Amino acid sequence: MPTTTSSSASSSSSVSCNNRQADVFSRLASSDPEVKLKALREVKNQIIGNRTKKLSFLKLGAIPAIASVLADADDSDKCNNILVQSAAAIGSFACGFEAGVQAVLDAGVFPHLLRLLTNPDEKVVDAGARSLRMIFQSNQAPKYDFLQEKNMEFLFSLLNSENENVSGLGASIIAHACGTSVEQRVLCEAGVLEKLVILLDGSLSQREACLESLATVLKNNPEAVSDFVGLESGRYFNSVTELTKDRYPRTRLLSCLCLVVIYNTSPSYFINMGTKSSLITTLLELLNDPGQSGDDAALGLSCLIAEKEDLQQLAYEADAIKNIVDILRTGSELQPRRLQGLFLSLAELCSKLEDCRCSFLSLQVLDLLTNALRHKDADVRAAACICFRNAARSVKSLSAGRFNSDHVMLPLVQLLHDPSSSVQVAVLGALSNIVLDFSSPKSSFIEYGGIKQLIELSKSMDPNARCSALRALRNLMFLADNKRKELFCSDVKAQGFACLISDPEPPVQEQALALLRNLVDGCISSIEFVFDEDGLILDTVGRQLRKAPQAQMAIQGMYVLTNVASGTELHKEAVMQQLFPQAKAGSENFMLKFLQSDESQLRSATVWTIINLISPSSPGAFDRHVKLRNAGIIPQLKNMVNDACLDVKIRIRTVLGQSMSFGDNY
Amino acid sequence: MPVRVVESNTPAQVSGTDPGNRSPLPPSSLLGAGQAFSGTQNVSNQQKEEAWRVNVQIQGIDLEHGYLCGTMEALNVPMADTPVITFWEGEIVDGKNYTFYTGKWEATREDDMRHWSKFPSFSPLQGQVETDGGRQLDLNNYPYIFMRWKEQYFVNVGTDCGLTIAGFYYVCFSCSDGSISGFYYDPNSSPFQKLELKTVNEGRSGFSFSSYELQ
Repeated sequence: MPTTTSSSASSSSSVSCNNRQADVFSRLASSDPEVKLKALREVKNQIIGNRTKKLSFLKLGAIPAIASVLADADDSDKCNNILVQSAAAIGSFACGFEAGVQAVLDAGVFPHLLRLLTNPDEKVVDAGARSLRMIFQSNQAPKYDFLQEKNMEFLFSLLNSENENVSGLGASIIAHACGTSVEQRVLCEAGVLEKLVILLDGSLSQREACLESLATVLKNNPEAVSDFVGLESGRYFNSVTELTKDRYPRTRLLSCLCLVVIYNTSPSYFINMGTKSSLITTLLELLNDPGQSGDDAALGLSCLIAEKEDLQQLAYEADAIKNIVDILRTGSELQPRRLQGLFLSLAELCSKLEDCRCSFLSLQVLDLLTNALRHKDADVRAAACICFRNAARSVKSLSAGRFNSDHVMLPLVQLLHDPSSSVQVAVLGALSNIVLDFSSPKSSFIEYGGIKQLIELSKSMDPNARCSALRALRNLMFLADNKRKELFCSDVKAQGFACLISDPEPPVQEQALALLRNLVDGCISSIEFVFDEDGLILDTVGRQLRKAPQAQMAIQGMYVLTNVASGTELHKEAVMQQLFPQAKAGSENFMLKFLQSDESQLRSATVWTIINLISPSSPGAFDRHVKLRNAGIIPQLKNMVNDACLDVKIRIRTVLGQSMSFGDNY
Repeated sequence: MPVRVVESNTPAQVSGTDPGNRSPLPPSSLLGAGQAFSGTQNVSNQQKEEAWRVNVQIQGIDLEHGYLCGTMEALNVPMADTPVITFWEGEIVDGKNYTFYTGKWEATREDDMRHWSKFPSFSPLQGQVETDGGRQLDLNNYPYIFMRWKEQYFVNVGTDCGLTIAGFYYVCFSCSDGSISGFYYDPNSSPFQKLELKTVNEGRSGFSFSSYELQ
């Protein structure tokens, strides 16, 4: 039957394929060098550029088999071809294939490859060097101890070699193994910069290896950057700048990345606006490169413009936002690394400039972002969250309700349970901003059970998660109506909240107090929350303030007291109880300390509490004023009439004005 | 009761100040996100006297960039069935990001000076502003903040509601009591419509402050 024949033919062809593969192993182990050589060539030719074949041969144990061939071959002339082919095959396994690198290292082949570098035959040396370079492209490459003298000697012998693959290997080792500032210093002191820059005038491969290694040696090291820029009065710095216009994309990229490192380490070398613009434009063009250069360009751009408003402005003017959005919209499957870089670049563009945020959001990009939230790669999801977070710094857009829709909110809320902790952190940051919805009391975040989830996260073992969750709750409760506040207060009772305020971490305390401040603002009845369970929350606030807290926490605590003191007579008296607790009579009042703080906001918050306590419209104001005067607080304010901060000065004048109305002259 | 003033209210003239090194204005408690103000806008014209009740809320403030924004709600607007809410963005005159000269919105320098000079608190500054645009002024210690507010869009009504947001407000904010006065400028509307607002305490006996923190 034809069908039987064809199926048996296909199964027999796969069987024969497997047989051939298994046969290769027996030929690799052959004692006949010609047979061995042919088997090596066969494997090498099949795996070159073919990831599937690499995996297939790896699973069959090809690498240890080839490693044995390499180890057993001696250095005599007749074995040279075998050495070359086995090194080439090993190198091919390691090329861009992490499992291959792991298997190569596990097979113990490294020392045998090193041995090849001293072989008299140039082809053998070449093959060994190329193969080692492949290994050193990987993060799994062995650590290289630059601090050992003999290692440094060996490294310099590589850099000094006439063979471009060998000198390139030296540069690759530096590029991938130099990690600490101590190593950078040791390398620079040994003269590595002078050796590397020679490679800039060499072959393509040498130039690229040099650029990569320069970036590693110079990164975050102002002394090394200064040494490099000073070489031959800036000749090599200019060369690197010129290489950003090279015809090879990879060279353009690596020179850009080198300049990004120099800029981030010592921006003063880039006074010329034209260089900055040109660097940004080149990186933007490279974003369109379909290969690895495009992936790296995206991350490089985000590194360059991070935290730098002037460069973000330049990138914006160069139409970066539209360019990147267009790339994201092409519909073709982009590599995760590239997606991550593109979203991070957009995030950096939106980080400080309102024009950028508005421009980005005007391109109808929320669908792009929400799709990325569902990407299988955690780094892409996290980058999309960071992009959301920064775009949502636009109060104008928040006010217009741009983010308050189900199809935006639901995937974000779902990411609170993402398996990756970096995604959870990133989405908390995004939600923190997005919940600031000025447009409507109705919040889809709340409808999706967001409050309960944040309350859970506020009890996390991780203090950063607790802090972020509380910040999101704080923002959610900003100008909230009673209905919304009740959703929180009914779940977190007084006891639970007192624990949050007493958290061991000051930043957590600060956010808890800021949340409380918002809860007791607004309608006067919302102040009652601090009196639940016999005033537990208010007592806890008072206790924390008496413990000499950090300024930021104290500011929030004093604003809690300010807000409570803007209430009824009972509320004001309750605040006085916290300021002057009977049990602590005689000890220095914390308000006096706060009034003498270097933090103007703390001085201001403290004075506001006083303003509210002696507000003329309240019956007990006079008595409270007497108490404050007797405690030395009003006299302290008299000493502060010339406070350096205008706002504090103005508030003090208000207090002293009220003081005079009580008959207090000064 | 008057309070003895130790320093005069005229801002210090800092000679040799490099405008490029100006810092943003320091924060003022009553001009912060969450602060609410209430008052009136006088929309009288030759035909009739009219005033709308107005509520303003600050939603965001970025002193580094001299920017603030918020909403404005106009009540008892004859053409509208409901209060009309607009979103506005403001420029703070800090000598770093923005000066007293508008440079856009069809406002000439003469228009600028005509409006700023209607604020009593502007008179100590007027001479300097007319001379060199106020480059030498140190506004950091001046107890008034000058701004321009420009409405950007209608929040709750359509653009066909019969109302215009083509103009902008010259605004003066008093740091001491949070009162705001302003003049609406629109070449196609009645001139010098005055906005007068005071802080709102929502039935409280004192001031209360909410806050948020953008990540």
